Amino acid sequence: MHLFLLIGLVAFSIMAVLSRDLLKSAISLAVASIFLSLVFFRLGAVYAGVFELSVVAGLITVLFITAIALTRNDGDVAESKRHLIVFPLFFLALAVLDILVMRKLLGQIPSIQGAESGSFSQVLWNQRTFDLVGQVGAIFAGVLAVLALFRPEPSKGDSHE
Amino acid sequence: MLFLFIIVPLLLAGLLPLLGKLSKRFLPDLLASAAMLFLLVLSVVSAKPLIAGGGIIQQAFWFGAPLNIRLLLDGFSLFMLFTISLISFAVTLYSINYMEHYGAKANYYALLLVMIAGMNGLVLCSDLFNIYIFLEMAAIASYALVAFGRGHEELEASFKYLMLSAVASAFILLSIAIVFGVTGSVSFGAVAQGLKTLNIKYVVGFCSALFLAGFGLKAALVPFHSWLPDAHPSAPAPISAMLSAVLIKVSGVYAMTRIFLNVFGLTPALTTVLTVMGVVSIFVGALAALGQNDIKRMLAYSSISQIGYVVLGLGIGTPLGILGGLFHLFNHALFKSLLFLNAGAIEQSTGTRSLDKMGGLAKVMPLTATTSAIASLSIAGVPPLNGFWSKLLIIIALVQAKMHVLAVLAVLGSVVTLWYYLVLQHNAFFGKLNEAWKGVKEAPFWMSAATVLLALLCVVTGLVFPFIIKSWLQPAADVLGQGISVALNFVGF
Repeated sequence: MHLFLLIGLVAFSIMAVLSRDLLKSAISLAVASIFLSLVFFRLGAVYAGVFELSVVAGLITVLFITAIALTRNDGDVAESKRHLIVFPLFFLALAVLDILVMRKLLGQIPSIQGAESGSFSQVLWNQRTFDLVGQVGAIFAGVLAVLALFRPEPSKGDSHE
Repeated sequence: MLFLFIIVPLLLAGLLPLLGKLSKRFLPDLLASAAMLFLLVLSVVSAKPLIAGGGIIQQAFWFGAPLNIRLLLDGFSLFMLFTISLISFAVTLYSINYMEHYGAKANYYALLLVMIAGMNGLVLCSDLFNIYIFLEMAAIASYALVAFGRGHEELEASFKYLMLSAVASAFILLSIAIVFGVTGSVSFGAVAQGLKTLNIKYVVGFCSALFLAGFGLKAALVPFHSWLPDAHPSAPAPISAMLSAVLIKVSGVYAMTRIFLNVFGLTPALTTVLTVMGVVSIFVGALAALGQNDIKRMLAYSSISQIGYVVLGLGIGTPLGILGGLFHLFNHALFKSLLFLNAGAIEQSTGTRSLDKMGGLAKVMPLTATTSAIASLSIAGVPPLNGFWSKLLIIIALVQAKMHVLAVLAVLGSVVTLWYYLVLQHNAFFGKLNEAWKGVKEAPFWMSAATVLLALLCVVTGLVFPFIIKSWLQPAADVLGQGISVALNFVGF
């Protein structure tokens, strides 16, 4: 079973890289992620499995597909301003749905109940606090990178403060 | 107090994009320069006295409340903190003028500060997984900074850098996972103790190979160097300076040296691999630099060559070799950042990086020509400048370790270095001034201030090298020379 899952993971990862169609690439990545989450579940890493499934296979795939849908074939952003309303609403609805599903799922995982939940939060918040600082910094770097690289072209007025 | 090295740049990076709305230039310039100066002063005045009695582990506090964060400060980490802070300060001064035409200065400084916070975090951590996290933090900021100009060349170079860094991260992460699997821990002390008790030399050998590939990619050691000649020239000049002078050393050389010498322990096999990789890097980098016409690309290849000297010195593993390697690391940070900043000044004034199109620029840019000559002579190892002493220490250490062939090769590498830097100086600054550059002016005030500061440091470091060695380098070399006993002292913390 493990071998089958790992072969599936590698095959769909390769498809995600090689596919010239962005949509197929995003879907392949999601399927690869599902295979990986199943591997995590089978190895007993339930937290990793749940996060991989909900965040990577779910949320990120939806973001990719939304972004692809909002762009034209030639890569230009669509002229329509509809996405300014649709995207935040869609994102909000997905976030609410994700939270509800996750709450249900997390409650059903045996290892999270009782003593194990304490150890998980203890590991995350107490033992690996420095990692959290680094992770916040890494996410922050990503946000700043998007802000910097997708900045508008400087207008003539910007040359004088 | 040590937590300030991470939290101050991180908090300021968070504020700058907001403050940038109020003031596009003045506030970002002022706050970023002030923060860098603060970190520099902190490393000299506050952090140095802390390790008077040896390395310490300090708990971090947040508004008086203790956090479960323990930071390791010893001679080696302090030396790196000082180097990072010094170069960052010079680069920030230079950026005041240089980054004007890029726009989005607040975002630029914010990314630079995150990169510095990442490097400081990496240097202060005492845990393998922390190394990986802070390595990624600094790397993500650096990908964006390389692509900051958003031109085709910048984006392509950044993508290539990102892809190869991802491969490096995979090697590093896999090795950390294996170490965790066999020792049950990722903290330096517990891993050192676990590996000592278990006696699993093949597993350690495999993990060392993975770390060597991962950190070798980050340090751009041959044969893992292919990303650097694209990434470093494409970035804005101050970022090229930061990458070549500091980032490859922190995320590559520091991390590798800390793990190999203080956690795994240096073995004869590792010594052989590191010294051979060092010498090969010296020659491949130097010969490739010799054939370049793009000034920044020449400097990038030169970085590969000079990193070879650093790894060669550290790889010998003797006290003198380690001292020479660390001294060259510091010196290279000074003169390579200076050379990249000068290349940026030339590019900004003339609009070209091609050495063929330059010539006679000393007549119109005398300050840039003078500081560039000092840096070129320093990096080539001309006495009494700083590069001479560090190379001399490495060569003496090689002779003492009876590695005579490597010593001869190191000297030959230095001759080739002198050759291509003379070519650079001649083509860029001497000869007849090209008609097109008659209207060219000297670099603006802050750019010149930064280059003069670095040039003075190259001269002063060479003249007072015994003081530099005694106060900053010897404590760092002692930490590395003590081997795994350093990590074993911190078991349980």
